[in-house]
Amino acid sequence: MRKTILFTAFLFFLGLQVINAQAKVVKGKITSTEDNKGVPGATVIVKGTTIGTISGSNGEYEISFDEKYKTLVFSFMGMETVEVDVSGKTTANVSMTPKVTEIEGAVITAYGISREKKSLGYATQEISGEEVNTVKSDNFVNSLSGKVSGVQVKANSNMGGSTNIIIRGSTSLTGNNQAMFVIDGVPVDNSNTNSSTQRQGGSGYDYGNAASDINPEDIESINVLKGAAATALYGSRAANGVIIITTKKGGKQIRDGKNAIGITLGISGTMGFIDKSTFPKYQTSYGGGYGPYYSAGADGHPGLSYTDVNGDGTKDWLVPTTEDASYGEAFDESLMVYQWDAFVPEHPNYGKATPWKNPENGPITFFENATTLKNSIAFYGGGDHNSFRVSYTNTYQTGIMPNSELKRNNLSFNGSQDLTDNITVSASAAYVNTDVTGRNSTGYSNNILSSYRQWWQTNVDVQDLKDMYDETGRNVTWNMSNPTGGNTNPEYWDNFYWDRYENVETDFRDRITGNAVINWKITDWMSILGRASVDYYNTVQEERLAVGSIARRFGISRLDVGSGYSRYNRTFRENNYDAIANFNHRFSDDLNITGLLGVNIRRNYLNTIYSSTNGGLVVPELYSLSNSINPVLAPLETEETVGVNGYFGQVSLGYKNTYYLEATLRRDKSSTLPDGNNVYYYPSVSGNVIFSELVEVDWMSFGKVRVNYAEVGNDAPFASINDVYSKPSPFGSTPLFSVPSTKNNIDLRPERTKSIEAGIEMKFLKNRVGFDFAWYKTNTIDQILPVAVSTATGYSTKYVNSGEIQNSGFELALLATIMKGDKFQWDLIVNWSRNRNEVISLYDGVDNLQLGSFQGGITINATVGQPYGTIQGSDFVYDENNNRKIQDTNMARPGYYMMSASNDQVIGNINPDWNAGITNRFSYGQWGLSFLIDWQQGGDIFSLDHWYGDGTGLYEFTAEANDLGNPQRDPIVGSPGSYASNSGGILQEGVLPNGEENFIRINGDRYTAYGWARNPNARYIYDASYIKLREVVLSYKLKMKKDSKSFIQGATFSFVGSNLWILYKNLPDADPEAGLSSGNLQGFQSGVMPSTRNFGININLNF
Amino acid sequence: MKKILLILLVLFVASSCTKLDEMNEDTKNPSKVPSETLFTNAQRELADQLASINVNTNVFKLFAQYITETTYTDEANYDVVNRTIPDNAWRTLYKDVLMDLKESARVMDTEPAPILDSDKKNFANRKAVVDILRVYTYARLLAMFGNIPYTEALDINNVNPKYDDAASVYKSLFASLDADIATLTAGAGEGSFTGGADIIYNGDDAKWLMFANGLKLKMAIQTSDMSPLDAADLNKAIQDAAMGVFTSSADNALFNYLGATPNTNPLYLDLVASGRHDFVATNTMVDIMLAKNDTIRLDMYYTKVADTVASEAFKGGPYGYNNTYSDYSHINSTLEDPTFPCVLMDYTEIQFYLAEAAVKGLGGINGPSAFYDAAVTSSFEYWGSDAATAAAYILADAPYVDINSIGEQAWIAYYNRGFFGWTTWRRIDVPTLNDPPNNYIGLGKFPTRYIYPINEQTLNKANRSAAAAAIGGDFQDTKLFWDIK
Repeated sequence: MRKTILFTAFLFFLGLQVINAQAKVVKGKITSTEDNKGVPGATVIVKGTTIGTISGSNGEYEISFDEKYKTLVFSFMGMETVEVDVSGKTTANVSMTPKVTEIEGAVITAYGISREKKSLGYATQEISGEEVNTVKSDNFVNSLSGKVSGVQVKANSNMGGSTNIIIRGSTSLTGNNQAMFVIDGVPVDNSNTNSSTQRQGGSGYDYGNAASDINPEDIESINVLKGAAATALYGSRAANGVIIITTKKGGKQIRDGKNAIGITLGISGTMGFIDKSTFPKYQTSYGGGYGPYYSAGADGHPGLSYTDVNGDGTKDWLVPTTEDASYGEAFDESLMVYQWDAFVPEHPNYGKATPWKNPENGPITFFENATTLKNSIAFYGGGDHNSFRVSYTNTYQTGIMPNSELKRNNLSFNGSQDLTDNITVSASAAYVNTDVTGRNSTGYSNNILSSYRQWWQTNVDVQDLKDMYDETGRNVTWNMSNPTGGNTNPEYWDNFYWDRYENVETDFRDRITGNAVINWKITDWMSILGRASVDYYNTVQEERLAVGSIARRFGISRLDVGSGYSRYNRTFRENNYDAIANFNHRFSDDLNITGLLGVNIRRNYLNTIYSSTNGGLVVPELYSLSNSINPVLAPLETEETVGVNGYFGQVSLGYKNTYYLEATLRRDKSSTLPDGNNVYYYPSVSGNVIFSELVEVDWMSFGKVRVNYAEVGNDAPFASINDVYSKPSPFGSTPLFSVPSTKNNIDLRPERTKSIEAGIEMKFLKNRVGFDFAWYKTNTIDQILPVAVSTATGYSTKYVNSGEIQNSGFELALLATIMKGDKFQWDLIVNWSRNRNEVISLYDGVDNLQLGSFQGGITINATVGQPYGTIQGSDFVYDENNNRKIQDTNMARPGYYMMSASNDQVIGNINPDWNAGITNRFSYGQWGLSFLIDWQQGGDIFSLDHWYGDGTGLYEFTAEANDLGNPQRDPIVGSPGSYASNSGGILQEGVLPNGEENFIRINGDRYTAYGWARNPNARYIYDASYIKLREVVLSYKLKMKKDSKSFIQGATFSFVGSNLWILYKNLPDADPEAGLSSGNLQGFQSGVMPSTRNFGININLNF
Repeated sequence: MKKILLILLVLFVASSCTKLDEMNEDTKNPSKVPSETLFTNAQRELADQLASINVNTNVFKLFAQYITETTYTDEANYDVVNRTIPDNAWRTLYKDVLMDLKESARVMDTEPAPILDSDKKNFANRKAVVDILRVYTYARLLAMFGNIPYTEALDINNVNPKYDDAASVYKSLFASLDADIATLTAGAGEGSFTGGADIIYNGDDAKWLMFANGLKLKMAIQTSDMSPLDAADLNKAIQDAAMGVFTSSADNALFNYLGATPNTNPLYLDLVASGRHDFVATNTMVDIMLAKNDTIRLDMYYTKVADTVASEAFKGGPYGYNNTYSDYSHINSTLEDPTFPCVLMDYTEIQFYLAEAAVKGLGGINGPSAFYDAAVTSSFEYWGSDAATAAAYILADAPYVDINSIGEQAWIAYYNRGFFGWTTWRRIDVPTLNDPPNNYIGLGKFPTRYIYPINEQTLNKANRSAAAAAIGGDFQDTKLFWDIK
């Protein structure tokens, strides 16, 4: 702290330039030679002084200064600088010419420092706000998909769900790999509060990631800092890349010659319809059951139970209602069967057997169309010395699940005021409130989609269930425990309408982000910026389980209980205090030095409390902790305080606008590292050459090569140094303590990412075609790992500094104007990137680190010598020709696949081979059309939905004809080697141990043929590639007359579509992007939501 | 103006900083706890592991074929891989039981040293009690897996603990028990844990002494066919132990559960609270008991179901097949009581061990039939019947004949103690179990141990492989060293 004061004091004594009274006033208008329009925002400087101004929105300016000065200097990014002698003049109109080579503008880099892009020795990529707010989504991060090379976005289909965003691969084995978000210099938390159970496919909800609070309507531009050199100033939190967001600001608005207030109004509506290629195609020939064994000995219908249902002394056919599978009896409308509805007194079929047939309304009728309404209004304006912008956006969304909605209000303000000629203060504040009702459950248990995809009876009519819930208000299920024994309670599955309307989760988040900035231009070569910022939110998540529901794991104890209520409160706060001195000095026409010295103080505070009822609810429908049957268990509390004090500096040299060299250094002291071992330095150095300045050739308009090296880091998670005990619930009045599962480590050091990057950027044919190519390699060493250890050590995990992961890759961004006419233009933008990672080492003697374990025996791992995120499970056994081996008649289960003895076979890898986004933009006069094709190639995914759903006979192919053309569910006739031509059964593809092609049939009429019971996990690994028509925008811009008296200044109407068409995928019946949660555990699907094709209309009006 | 601003800025930044070294403290969890709280937790974790019927943690009631599954029959068909069942047992016993016991003993040494003589004895007794439970837990691991980490276990600085030869671990455990017995004998009457920390015996050191002797007897008998001790030591061990074992069911080591979650018997959670109907009686058990007219205990063990001949009957589902819940007998509601105690050791078991010792001529113990009768009687009494009914049953349906009588009756008596039933079957090889239809190990094969945890394959590879080789392969049907038949 003392150093901060010293530093500030030093700046204070530097001496201050005092401006004398002014005498002369010069006015004028600055226009562009290209279109003769006014140039707003151009800088006008009195030569030889620091006096200056900026032109207004129509290019007009006015400046006053001492008469002794004679020359004004006009400059603007991308234009040639003009000097004008104004001695004796009061008006000076200037026209400026665009620079040919200066095609790159200013970009916002780390800590909000604006830099000329060409001077940077590292890769950045900008996109405009329009690109992320035209297509409306509940999470703006989704809108980045395919638009920036090197950024991998994986949206999932949960309403309000979390989106995974990784820049240049995963660098941390077990830490956070999500990109960091910074808005106007304020780091914005992007936590995901999903429980570790939820992330590993257990029951729970996807509560989304906190960056979804960011309002895309407020975004002016986004700059993505990809590599370590770009982010190095952030030191110990720089490893994952940074998304820098600049919000829209106000400014002087002239209407009818007067200063006015601008108003922008946006109205939009979007409808989403299920993409049927992401939902199961059910077989329609067989009903509920597991196989032909319910009425052994009775005639005819072994898939049904045979018992006297109606008490008339004769046996009746009955669906085995407890079975949540569809390997039952073949449909036959002449067969009368007692089904679940026969046991519901309110049902018209009560007490009746009904025809055995495929129902009219399958599971897809359960879903509703999604709607999103988004309205926004913004007011903005300002004067010569101030500006402001106020905006409000309202989002209302309903999901495809019945009874689901998301409401969000974004309110934001920013403004600035010049206090004196050289001191400007500005502030911004944003309030966001998100209110969600009825998120969809995720994962394996108690998730409606896991029933529809894994455990379902194809004879059940979904609308019938809806009618019964509507009529009775009870949990009338198809999955009755023992209806003939009088028990019509659910065995595994509730009525899904009951589930949606009674077991409702709700959550909200109230969030405030803001900053206050003072910018003081001390001399013409130095300015100081002081900034205080806050990101604060409070979120409450409430889960409910209604009395009458099927018991499930719930609340703190995660024990099975039939009803309950739980709440989770989380308060988060991050404060940053920055003081940054910027230097910019031109020693000569050729040599320019810029630099900065800064201090950053960061404080994070997190406080959570989770509590739940115990043993159920006393009074139904009263969701309160006091309504607990047993005394409430002690709530789970956490309180985390984390701080980092950082000092940083940067020096950049520019020579002849051609050679650039930059070095940065940051020193961090982190509270999460042990005393005496908690101070670290993070250096970076980068250089670039604008070689187009050196070689003059016609065809090349711009050329730049760059290279850099940087080291950044990641400090330890909170409280991973000292050991504490864990506190299980007391045993009655006897207190319990236990040694925790994780052994902490007093010797932790920060993780370190060493990165090297090189790139080339070129533009041709007067900037019509250009590309930016980057190669990088990052090695993250000294990883802070809670490494899994043999539990024979008394712990499951141990914190260590160990392990190395390497990411390397290429990125290519290509921009081309393919056609350009008077009215017509066709632009093509291609972003392509490929990242390869490899786990180089882990921990002494450990060559596998399990990151997560899932239902079905699947684990996601970091394995030495493999890419990060291997999927492990059981595999086929292969012969030397890579044929799958099949068990012969001398072995157990002849005709079935042989399986690996252990579950630790690497059977997949979650990382895609490459990602690409291809945008085509056409404009014709006022019309615009653009579409984005988003392509992921490679990556694997394990589908628990097929692992179980194939095994339960839900899917179409499980009822198709076999190789002989007979129904595969028909009985096997004959024996191996001599099957009859009418034989059913299935011939698995593969070879017998003796090398012969398999000729042994297995039963196709029961749950063993496919799926979990007799197959290795490897059979359910799918290629996660996809090509999607991600976005289509058709817009019409209303052209206003040059008459500024007009009330409406501009209007845009657009038709937008998103996720319209999955052109290509290999994963059947689901969207390869669908998943459980953002985070390091990907590549696993269980009960995933179908995706929607979204169509919308936007109207934008400017007043 | 500018100066003021600057000063304000400096003050603002200066005042808003908390010192870094005041942070990163876990303000919600203790770094120091009383030693007995760790001991209690270990007891509870051990009891839960024993009592559970959950297919993820304890499948021994299936292995012993007391019950079978309805729809999802993987575990009844001996698939322990899919749910990583051995991992879960291993983790609970090492991490949750043994580690807390070790820590409890360690913390005791840091607590104020006792001054009075009686306090010193109490202190020594507490350590002995902790050690007895440690031996009990290791004995369970040995009987599940065979060779296990022992000398290098529970040391986080060695993440690749080697596996020790099972026989040598037994030897070491016998030695530990002898020391504990000596301590408790010397400190008799001074008690051990107080204040309700000892859920099992509430600090009664005399009971713990009996428990230690019983444990010694149990380990000796379990390994008696190929004892790690030489003949003389084995005899002496059994002889010594037999002098100090339980004298009646009043001495039973029970973990008494409470009525409210999360402190109920785990059976209650899986059978009642879950609302699931996963298990039915097996024909293996029901048919044998029916053949022996053991209806008194059948009625305690299972429910009756509707039957076409009689109106109600006991019916067991064929083991390992898909069974419809409503067609077969269910687990009796006695076991569904949330407070139903977990048995760690009981008088019945001790009498069966003594009977077996007598048959095998060990420890100078003679007359198996008396011990056998006492064991069966004790079982009847435990399940709510009486001595007279038991005597009639023994006389008419189950008189002592040979070791197979012991094997069969012990197997029946251990109904709620799957691991003990399965272990007795492994040693005495009665009754004949039924082969499940989709036997994961291979048709006609039965599990005689748990395979090593899947986790150990990846996290402690070399040591696991060495152990696998040493015991004759890491297979479910590898026989442990004492299981020579």
